[in-house]
Amino acid sequence: MRLLRYLIRRLLQILPVALILIVINFVLIRLAPGDVAIMLAGEDADAAYMAALRERFGLDLPLLDQLIAYLSHILRGDFGTSYRTGEPVLGLLIERVPATLLLAGTSLIIAAVLGIVIGAAVARRPGSVADTVVTALSTCLFSVPVFWLGLMLILLFAVRLQWLPSSGMVSIDSPQGGLGRVLDIARHMILPVAALSTFWLGQYIRLARSSVVEVLSESYMTTARTIGFSERYVLFRHGLRNALLPIVTVLGLEIGLLLTGAVLTETVFSWPGLGRFIYEAILARDTPVIMGAFIVMSFTVMLASLVADLAYASLDPRVGF
Amino acid sequence: MFCKKMVLAALLFTASASAHADTTVIIPLAAEARTLSPNPVVDTGTFELAGNIYSHLVVTDWGVVAGTPVYGDLAEKWDISPDGKVYTFHLRSGVKWHDGAPLTSADVKFTYDRMIEKKYPYAAFLRNVERIEAPDDLTIVLTLKSADMSFLPLLAQAAVWSGKIYPRHLWQDQDGFDTGPYVNAPVGSGPFKFVRWDRGNAVELAANPDYFLGKPTIDRLIFRPILDPNVARAEFDSGQYPFLPPDFAPPYAEIAALRKDPAVQVVITPSIYSRDIQLNTQREPFAKPKVREAIALAVDREAINRLAFAGLWKPATHASIETQKQWMNAEASFPAFDKARAEALLDEAGYPRGADGMRFAAKLTGPTEVACSAINQILVQQLRDVGIDVQLEQFDQATWRQRLGEKNYDISCYFTRYGPDPDAYREHFATGGQRNFSGYSNAEFDGLAERAVTLTDAGERLELYKQMQAMLTRDMPYINLLGEQKISLVAAGWSGFPVQESGYNKSVTWYGYFAVKPPAN
Repeated sequence: MRLLRYLIRRLLQILPVALILIVINFVLIRLAPGDVAIMLAGEDADAAYMAALRERFGLDLPLLDQLIAYLSHILRGDFGTSYRTGEPVLGLLIERVPATLLLAGTSLIIAAVLGIVIGAAVARRPGSVADTVVTALSTCLFSVPVFWLGLMLILLFAVRLQWLPSSGMVSIDSPQGGLGRVLDIARHMILPVAALSTFWLGQYIRLARSSVVEVLSESYMTTARTIGFSERYVLFRHGLRNALLPIVTVLGLEIGLLLTGAVLTETVFSWPGLGRFIYEAILARDTPVIMGAFIVMSFTVMLASLVADLAYASLDPRVGF
Repeated sequence: MFCKKMVLAALLFTASASAHADTTVIIPLAAEARTLSPNPVVDTGTFELAGNIYSHLVVTDWGVVAGTPVYGDLAEKWDISPDGKVYTFHLRSGVKWHDGAPLTSADVKFTYDRMIEKKYPYAAFLRNVERIEAPDDLTIVLTLKSADMSFLPLLAQAAVWSGKIYPRHLWQDQDGFDTGPYVNAPVGSGPFKFVRWDRGNAVELAANPDYFLGKPTIDRLIFRPILDPNVARAEFDSGQYPFLPPDFAPPYAEIAALRKDPAVQVVITPSIYSRDIQLNTQREPFAKPKVREAIALAVDREAINRLAFAGLWKPATHASIETQKQWMNAEASFPAFDKARAEALLDEAGYPRGADGMRFAAKLTGPTEVACSAINQILVQQLRDVGIDVQLEQFDQATWRQRLGEKNYDISCYFTRYGPDPDAYREHFATGGQRNFSGYSNAEFDGLAERAVTLTDAGERLELYKQMQAMLTRDMPYINLLGEQKISLVAAGWSGFPVQESGYNKSVTWYGYFAVKPPAN
């Protein structure tokens, strides 16, 4: 019951925050120079056509009227239609989300799990050879630009060895459904997931290592050992559980940014995801798409931070609702 | 070693591809299409797709750089009345839409009427049309309000982007060319039929066996969006594509090595554009002719060409470019590089070097496009050498274009157009011209430009354009730098790609693959 009340309160808090975000984003986009009418009509178009376009999109109205019109549409769940394709924004975004979630989600899970395991393993003997090597390597991984790594992977595995496809999410003649389709997508995922998770992996190793090292030096660990609990029990019951707290914070933030965190990877691998789509919409001043994407992103960030808080509470009994 | 192996792989791939009964060609595209209906808005992603699916009344392709600004597509031939106002087009007979229905002059009239009514981009090129008539199934008559020699070349050029002929029987019940079932399932009359669009992944077309110029040699044409040029290049090297379009041009430094590679044809195609710098003549100190002349003297075209383009572009010293030689005034040229003279002129203009060695500050801007970015980096140094304290200012495309339109800039890299018809001068330099970013205003020039476009005699026209070029090189509202060269790669043995001479005048648009032929066995 207390959990439910907490949930409702948190969800209600999201609404005003979302409203403020929408207003700020809306004004910011309108402040940016450049005009969708020029982009759509082409440089040869006459002023009348551009004026007609602006009128059609309501860009000729005062900013406040535009904002009110937009908000009233949003409240009815209408995200508007893209200036460029004439299709509903929500549909366009939803079409792109699965590809991004598949790529970024898989990479994040792999990076987080592997990172925590490796980080915790080396943290037990700080300063050992393994620790030094892993720490140095993880710094390298973290600082390799993901587009460069992606390109190198393509050159090696796709161009030279020809083991894996170089770009896209499916083959030209990919089966339309069934296991064949799944395997085809899986083959296409290997390189981009490798590139993206490598980048994140370094970060999680470093995080898990420093966090576990810190926890291991705590006096309650010594106490637990003195009581006579097994080393394994001490490490998992008292060590890792406390060490996970900062990791969960970072993970929560990263899940929130999941939808846009893979723009570079999506570009290098021509992955039909959301990040790339938003980037193109910004360049084309396709305001309804940009706004829709911002709203979806704001909600994922807020939801992810809520989930992180809940996870916090279950890991740390001192955190209550 | 690595390179040799890839060459071998590419050879094996192309050889086996041509041995197959079915020839599939995959083309990488730098931008993904937003819709498959090209007429309502400008969408770079649809150009290549629509160019192969739809037909046009008249069209142009890269042959424009070899002197063919226009040729018939659906129109087999046309007559122009002696006063230059009435264009009578005779359509090819027996042309069919992809769904089997016959194509007639009613389709052409319907498409043009709709585009004018909706003010779609192509309407700008039909602005001077007073009447469109279709007296019979195979004749379409366009009557102009005034004689306009640029009408037909521009009609042909703009058709490449947004002047496709749509089937009346499928579209007449739709409110516009941007709604309804045929937006993303196009029915055209071009060399390839639409098969499927797997969004984000591929658009597939198939050869149209009933195409009025014969079935294309390629059976399957597939376009894939490839967003990273390095990846596109790697995939070309591994034999996935027989053609790497100019959008993915390799670094200039690599060209010399690529030319020695027997597996690759390096295709260098000149264009009808230059790269130049626009000077804001409505802002000090660029309002002063001496300052503009000094800037013209300060630029070293050879150095720019060498450093930015490995010497592959063509220095342009006239107010014209080499592909428009027939309209060039070879006697009127911009001053040659002379640093000392530039400095002297700036002193005379009242801008001596200050304590820091600089005369005045200025911002240099340009589009995000590769060539201008490269040119600007060198220009900064060349202008600083004569004491102009130049700062580079980079914006995204939309912002840059808006600032130029508002004349909110000092100096900008730009791409002036010289073809397909010399009336282009009016757009760039006449008072109030659509792309007159320099703010140049010369009543004499305006008068000549206005008259030149109505003259049916080419010799008379040339005389006027020569005078106008002399004014431009005298007043220097802009300074021509280099003639643009497009670089693309074609796998050995392949011919007929639109940028190749073997594709000129038969590619049907700058993006047409109708003429493409695989290597002979």
